[in-house]
Amino acid sequence: MNAPANSKGHVLEVQGLTRRFGGLTAVSDVSFQVERGEIFGIIGPNGAGKTTLFNVIAGHFRPSAGTVTFEGQDISGQTSDAIGRLGIARTFQAVNVFKEHTVAENLRRADVAHRCHNPWAWLSHRNSAGRADAHDVARFLGLDDSMQGEAGSLAYGLQKILGIGMAMMVTPKLLLMDEPAAGLNSSEKRMAADLIRRLRDERGITILLVEHDMPLVMGVCDRILVINQGKRIAQGTPDEVKANPAVIDAYLGEDYEFA
Amino acid sequence: MKRTVLTCVALLALLSSLWLFGNNYVLHIATMVVIMAPMALSLNIMMKLGQLSIAQPAFMGIGAYGAALLTMRLGVPPLLSMLAGATIAAAMAAISGPVFLRIKGVYFVLLTYAFSQVVNLVFQEWVSLFGGNSGLYGIPKFSLFGFRLTQVHHYFALGLVFTALTYTAMRAIERSDIGAIFESLNENEMLSRSLGSNALAWRTAAYTFSAFVAGVAGAIYAFYIGFLSPDPFGFRASVDLIVINAVGGVNLVLGPMLGSLFIVPLPELLRDAREYQLLVYGVCLMVFVVFLKQGLVSLFQSPKKGVRA
Amino acid sequence: MFEQILVNGLLAGLIYVIMALGFTLIFGIMRIVNFAHGEFYMLGAVVVLVLFGQMGWPFFMAVIAGGVVSGLLGLVLERLLFRRIVGDEMAGMIMSLAIGIILQSVALIVFGPAEQTVTRPFSGTWSLGGAMVPWDRTIVALCALAIIVVFYIFLKFSRLGLAMQAVAQDPDTSSLMGVESGSVYAASFSIACVLAGLGGALMAPIYTIGPYMGELPMLKAFVVVILGGLGSLPGAVAGGLLIGLSESVLATHLDATAALIASFVIVLLVVITRPTGLMGRSVR
Repeated sequence: MNAPANSKGHVLEVQGLTRRFGGLTAVSDVSFQVERGEIFGIIGPNGAGKTTLFNVIAGHFRPSAGTVTFEGQDISGQTSDAIGRLGIARTFQAVNVFKEHTVAENLRRADVAHRCHNPWAWLSHRNSAGRADAHDVARFLGLDDSMQGEAGSLAYGLQKILGIGMAMMVTPKLLLMDEPAAGLNSSEKRMAADLIRRLRDERGITILLVEHDMPLVMGVCDRILVINQGKRIAQGTPDEVKANPAVIDAYLGEDYEFA
Repeated sequence: MKRTVLTCVALLALLSSLWLFGNNYVLHIATMVVIMAPMALSLNIMMKLGQLSIAQPAFMGIGAYGAALLTMRLGVPPLLSMLAGATIAAAMAAISGPVFLRIKGVYFVLLTYAFSQVVNLVFQEWVSLFGGNSGLYGIPKFSLFGFRLTQVHHYFALGLVFTALTYTAMRAIERSDIGAIFESLNENEMLSRSLGSNALAWRTAAYTFSAFVAGVAGAIYAFYIGFLSPDPFGFRASVDLIVINAVGGVNLVLGPMLGSLFIVPLPELLRDAREYQLLVYGVCLMVFVVFLKQGLVSLFQSPKKGVRA
Repeated sequence: MFEQILVNGLLAGLIYVIMALGFTLIFGIMRIVNFAHGEFYMLGAVVVLVLFGQMGWPFFMAVIAGGVVSGLLGLVLERLLFRRIVGDEMAGMIMSLAIGIILQSVALIVFGPAEQTVTRPFSGTWSLGGAMVPWDRTIVALCALAIIVVFYIFLKFSRLGLAMQAVAQDPDTSSLMGVESGSVYAASFSIACVLAGLGGALMAPIYTIGPYMGELPMLKAFVVVILGGLGSLPGAVAGGLLIGLSESVLATHLDATAALIASFVIVLLVVITRPTGLMGRSVR
């Protein structure tokens, strides 16, 4: 399918995306767009295919069919590092940091990894300043007191925030967040929601997140896509989605509060 | 700082006494040590990336035959043909790297094995160019700006200089941003790649560098021995290099150096009991893999690493 | 001519399959590249040399003994050594390398470097269409076929076989469901060694027996397994037959070493286009 020209301000456009694993179709013909400056959520019951969808967009799997377009450019099937260089960053569901190094070093390494992404880039940019300033990022995230602390000994929630900080060091236009609330307690979840909003409001980053935690998703997202059994079953604002009978149906038997 | 100065002085004293007082036999062994040490370093680069490459001796062979033939058939000055031979080896690594390094570690081992077998078979079969199994004779002596290297002392010095250069380069890389990038890729590839780090490009660069080092070592070997056959560039040689790295230790650059020092003289010491040499190799390897995974070098390391900034 | 090439290819291919099956089994289940696989092949041949060639045992009993000895040694080694380094792929490779070296050197010390032969238990040829088929190679091929069939039945229909498949696919879930991966590892490794040992034992009278005889079969196993896909048993069968046939075809036009180079190059090309081999699992 041809990707249409980016005239409407879509940062991300997914068209007819399908991913099969042998006989199992994990994602089936899913289409949606993410607008610039949006906070877009993807939810669905367990096993619905959200993680697979996320991982195809992030470059870990090739689509079996369909396309992914970023700012008008077809990125379907590109590797995760190529996607990382295009201005798309991602965070991980479980903590993913360089545990034996300090917070400052983690942020520095994120910058180095991006700036010196291959030996030629290293040759040209090894002495250049990074695009983001580590102290600025740390201050934004409230990590500036922990800069010299060992990343692995930080509290779980702070390690996840460090993960966000590393993603910020590459100054992404689009941030993919894989279950940002996973492993956080309720006050940490509130902080995470605040942080996500500030990432968009103060830094202009468009955000796509996959999440299980309903209060967070409903509270933070502008629009939500609902997936079940690999297929799109609903899309709309939080209020629209909450009231959608197909969505309620899909979650029947699961322990969710939509409030 | 004081410790480094002391170590350097001790080393210099040792090397000078070797040079001045060692007989030809001892110096021959020493020369082989300083030819194999860069080879061990070459494998070490790849092992640090978690990739066991069986191709290093093949690159050595390409450098060796390349340099020898360029000098013998085309009259290229030895220094230039050495660099050219090493460059050919590096080029082959740069071409095969993106293909071989793309796939999981184990496939890489098998592919480098296949590559090394093909190279060896070509050395054996293309008799008109490489001399086949009977070998390539009459390689001229190495000469540098008019000075011909005729004695074993000279080749010892040449090998030593190259070993020192390689060691220094690797330490410098380790301490630089490149070292940080490799460490990040090894520690957490998924994270590094999500930040944009092109793992394949960096691995290919490491592979190419390792091939270049092996190529130069091969050229030095060719000029020193004066004769080449496919024998030293096969699977056996890879086993030697693996033993050296396992015994010496993979994590520190010093490891393969120590390993070479211990392992390279072994065949000479066990000359009368050649079958036992193989057994000793095997047992050494087994012991180190099971009990002393970090290698000899870990015996000299301080027990606790602080937080690295 | 054509039939001869086909027959030669199949005869060679079946032995390659036996070697490759064991090799790929160890990798598929334990994720270890067994560099010592050729030495277990040699061990089987050595057992035949001693029992059949020197002590006059019946040939088939010696062959079975060869398989058993290899399997027992494999079991012991797995329990004592490989168990300690499960999960560490590189250590596994180096460990198997060490074992291979030790086995080879022991053979060298005990038997000396010279190659030895045993008298062929069967002789004569029969004709199949236009092809002349030696009886001894035919027997080997039939035994190999029987072994492959028995192995397949074992894998598909026995509890242990199903457990092995489960562990190969997903070790964590398998252990949650009560499959004890430790015993599966032990069984897999020793079965793979039995296969290698049987291969060497069967081939003992065909060529010569020496400490280095396992190197070429292991090389072939590598090639077959890369082609068929590491960890894939059907791939090992397909790859083995394919390599056997293509070598047979190439050998009529080129000499043996050139044919070997050609088969390596073919394999390299296959891996370039389809990295996981003809039937391997996909990896990103």
